[in-house]
Amino acid sequence: MNKGMSLLELQRLFYKTVFDSQSPENGEFYARIKTTVNLSGEQSVNIYKDSILGGLTDALFSIYPVCVKLVGEMFFKHMVADYLRRYPSNSPDLGDYGSEFSVYITDFEPVRELEYLADLVTLEWSWHRAFNAPDTLAAGICSIADLSTVAEVDQGSIHFVTTPSAILVRSIFPIHQIWQVNQEDYVGNGIVNLDDGAVCLVVWRNAAFGMRIDVLSEQEYEFLQAVTDGKSFSEIATLPCASDLSGILGRCMQTGLIAGFTLVK
Amino acid sequence: MAGFFVFLCGISMTDKRFSTVSGIAGAGLGLRSGHYQHIFETNPSVPWFELLSDNYMGEGGLPIVRAEAIRDLYPITLHGVGMSLGSADALNVDYMARLKSLADRLEPTYVSDHIAWVSIDGQYTHDLLPLPYTLEAQKNIIDKISQAQDILGRTLLVENPSSYLMFNFSEMSEQEFVGGVLEQTGCQLLLDVNNLYVSAQNNSFSASEYLAALPKDRIKEIHLAGYENKGDYLFDTHGYTVRDPVWRLYQETLEMFGAIPTLIEWDTDVPDFDVLLGESKKAQMFLDEVA
Ligand SMILES: [Fe+2]
Repeated sequence: MNKGMSLLELQRLFYKTVFDSQSPENGEFYARIKTTVNLSGEQSVNIYKDSILGGLTDALFSIYPVCVKLVGEMFFKHMVADYLRRYPSNSPDLGDYGSEFSVYITDFEPVRELEYLADLVTLEWSWHRAFNAPDTLAAGICSIADLSTVAEVDQGSIHFVTTPSAILVRSIFPIHQIWQVNQEDYVGNGIVNLDDGAVCLVVWRNAAFGMRIDVLSEQEYEFLQAVTDGKSFSEIATLPCASDLSGILGRCMQTGLIAGFTLVK
Repeated sequence: MAGFFVFLCGISMTDKRFSTVSGIAGAGLGLRSGHYQHIFETNPSVPWFELLSDNYMGEGGLPIVRAEAIRDLYPITLHGVGMSLGSADALNVDYMARLKSLADRLEPTYVSDHIAWVSIDGQYTHDLLPLPYTLEAQKNIIDKISQAQDILGRTLLVENPSSYLMFNFSEMSEQEFVGGVLEQTGCQLLLDVNNLYVSAQNNSFSASEYLAALPKDRIKEIHLAGYENKGDYLFDTHGYTVRDPVWRLYQETLEMFGAIPTLIEWDTDVPDFDVLLGESKKAQMFLDEVA
């Protein structure tokens, strides 16, 4: 009779064996596996290990296609190997995996000279999140159409709300151009001048499920950032962007980037 | 602001919801994202589609809208890997709540997951991992399936996974383990004939004996897929046409259990829609023989 182990113990050991190939406990786990004619316990576990690590790698491949293109498939695989070990997936939704990849890249020595890479990865993550963002505003948020019902005296207490998919991204590099020239349907000379300077972007999805990356002015970015931070209209009116507030607000409402508001008196 | 790139993933469909088609029969297909456009354009004659619930767990966006459009045209089932029913962890109630709202929205004929575990200590492998066939593991999965059924308010289908190993301290065979789970939870079986063949070959047990031990009238759906022969073992890639020994085992299954709704699964290197359609027509031929 082989010595058993509890389900919890077994599953912890299995997980550890997959993500830590050097663990001294692995032998203990292999010893619980019925060997087959062709495979040792370790070889059988390796089938699962390769499948798990391969699946997580594939998930990152599909979220970060431009990064893959820039560093090459082989290098990308090498680059993510340690990410898989250091950043466990904490959600049953595989679509949630990979959120910390830009943080990881910042510290990943071999790509240090690709200074724009971490920001580009942030852009790709934003695209991924915007694609799957909710369609409708959360409960309790008024539609923009109701703005006219707000009394003049209460207008300072308006808190605008962006469409649920909107994510702001900024970089000191023209990451939107790097992104664009690496799209499959891109036609052009593919030249990006890294000295083109900083860029403010919003990644979002419009009402027709069209994915967009829009370039924002500094003031538009400041306005949308303030909205995202939950600042009221009267607070926003004290910021530098206030000089063109009606223009910015008009454009944001027209495109659908500003989708609603709440009134917090 | 300067409009920069616009990517319209447009679909032409009305918002109007048709009455939902329900009930599945015959040989259906696993819906894969690369085939939406083809399906909307050609309205192929497919008796039903199975949707991977985990692809629609995002809060919104195009995937769920497309899923609803498919549901308006065909009967559907929902199939997932995220419940982690065999895990020693507590059932993930957030996931279950999301799944319930998805099922309420799409009204599938069945909701299914696997007799396996994918996570421990809240850390997910996103892969179907094998259970030891012990009384403890059996009681654990029975409890989790019962809870899941309570949350979803429906009877679950659970599927036998492909396995590449067995534990040497198992106390019963896989078929005894599965039989006990069906008996004590009232859930139904999604018999994956390819998985059964792969597991039987890899772990040297008899697939025929396995089938003979299964309770009659509890198999509500069958899966078929293609494995890859790696030499030392069979690997369940879901990336090929159904192999001949699996077709034979499928025929044996139908002879024993009758014409059960059958699904063609294809997950890696998904080919043109017509290749999948050809596989489902072949399955339909076998179904017609026993009908
Ligand atoms: Fe299956």
